[in-house]
Amino acid sequence: MRLKLLSCEVFYREMCAVVARSPNTVDIQFFPKGLHDRGGKAMRAVIQEGIDAGRDEPAEAVLLGYGLCNNSLAGLRALEKPLVVPRAHDCLAILMGGREPFSRYFEKHPGTYFLSSGWLERGKTASQPATTRGGAFGMSWDQLVEQYGEENAAYLVEQDRESTGHYDRVGFFRMGVEPDGRFEEEARAVAAEKGWLFDLLPGSLHLLQDLVDGNWRDVDFLTVPPGHEIALTYDEQIIRARPIMS
Amino acid sequence: MARNEELYKAVASGKRRDVQRIVQEALDKGDDVLALLNESMIPAMQEVGDKFSRGEAFIPEMLIAARAMQAGVTLIEPTLVKSGHKAAGRVCIGAVKGDLHDIGKNLVAIMLRSAGYEVIDLGTDCDVAKFREAVDEQGAQAVLASALLSTTMSYMQKLVDGFRDRPDVPIIIGGAPVTEEFAEQIGAAGYGKDAGDAVKAVRRLIAQPA
Repeated sequence: MRLKLLSCEVFYREMCAVVARSPNTVDIQFFPKGLHDRGGKAMRAVIQEGIDAGRDEPAEAVLLGYGLCNNSLAGLRALEKPLVVPRAHDCLAILMGGREPFSRYFEKHPGTYFLSSGWLERGKTASQPATTRGGAFGMSWDQLVEQYGEENAAYLVEQDRESTGHYDRVGFFRMGVEPDGRFEEEARAVAAEKGWLFDLLPGSLHLLQDLVDGNWRDVDFLTVPPGHEIALTYDEQIIRARPIMS
Repeated sequence: MARNEELYKAVASGKRRDVQRIVQEALDKGDDVLALLNESMIPAMQEVGDKFSRGEAFIPEMLIAARAMQAGVTLIEPTLVKSGHKAAGRVCIGAVKGDLHDIGKNLVAIMLRSAGYEVIDLGTDCDVAKFREAVDEQGAQAVLASALLSTTMSYMQKLVDGFRDRPDVPIIIGGAPVTEEFAEQIGAAGYGKDAGDAVKAVRRLIAQPA
């Protein structure tokens, strides 16, 4: 089967690994991780464009390498081909291998700052805590000073630091696709610098592998038939398909 | 009194020292500072909030404008208290249980204070009991609850259920994953899609003090 995969680059290494091992022929298109910070509307528009662009390609279905990601997927439409989406609130649950184990961990450790190879090597963004470089809100110190003046810049750095003050540990997903210990070391360094605990989390590729292999169990994946769009359920199912309204 | 353009611009662009200087000069001259607040400072902050809604301003702009505004309000406050000026109302705000994110909640609190409300900030990770205490013991007239994660927003149902016996106290919810549809589904009285919108919901839902 030929499939088209539209994925957040946060899964770059993981997706390349599972696609390499898949019996299917999968065409991958990655989107910048920074889309997450541009808000649901912008993110939805970019992904929908990707879906629409695949209209004349040979793929039988379009896969989304995304979690719900702050409702960004809500409203995405399957036009001629079915869409297949993991049922997950975010990429973290996907890396953890499922929403139940992720919820259990998150309930126990709500102050966890999660990292993975994708989080570390792909587009550092405003949602990450300011590091020692002295910037804030995704801007460098110099940019802050230029835009807001030095006194305000100092205030913004302090505010950004406070806004990440609730973190007390780094949870690093070791997915088994890393070349060596470099990412884990980087994650450990973040924890050490911030004075947070470090937790090594055995990630799981199985949801991603099932996505590209075509094992779309209803419990873990939503299949959106053509003429339908993604809607929210606000329960354990997370998302459902409904006929396109307009 | 017409809008003081210089003050308006100073608040909107987060120029704290300019705000302090202009307000202090007005105080020294014996100007009507309540009018300055209502006609220049609050509209400036609202403008920043509206720009934020339209995606033309971002969190840093909101933060520095609010800080500039607060600096001016601090100077004006003693005069307001002396003249018997009353707050527009008293509300409590917090991020729901399990949610430790506070920057969005802080922005809403800032906008509410800017609009003249007394705000009891309960912080993050707030359970129903914490919100109840603010209402039952401190007289909050509305409850504002935020969640940044779709995993924590389900707690908002428990919050609404926890106030079934107080239909007079509206629950207003917001946060990135929260939608109006969800607010209706769980029976929340109001929904704010952003900080400015939350203030509008509060205005609509709580009665002004006599």
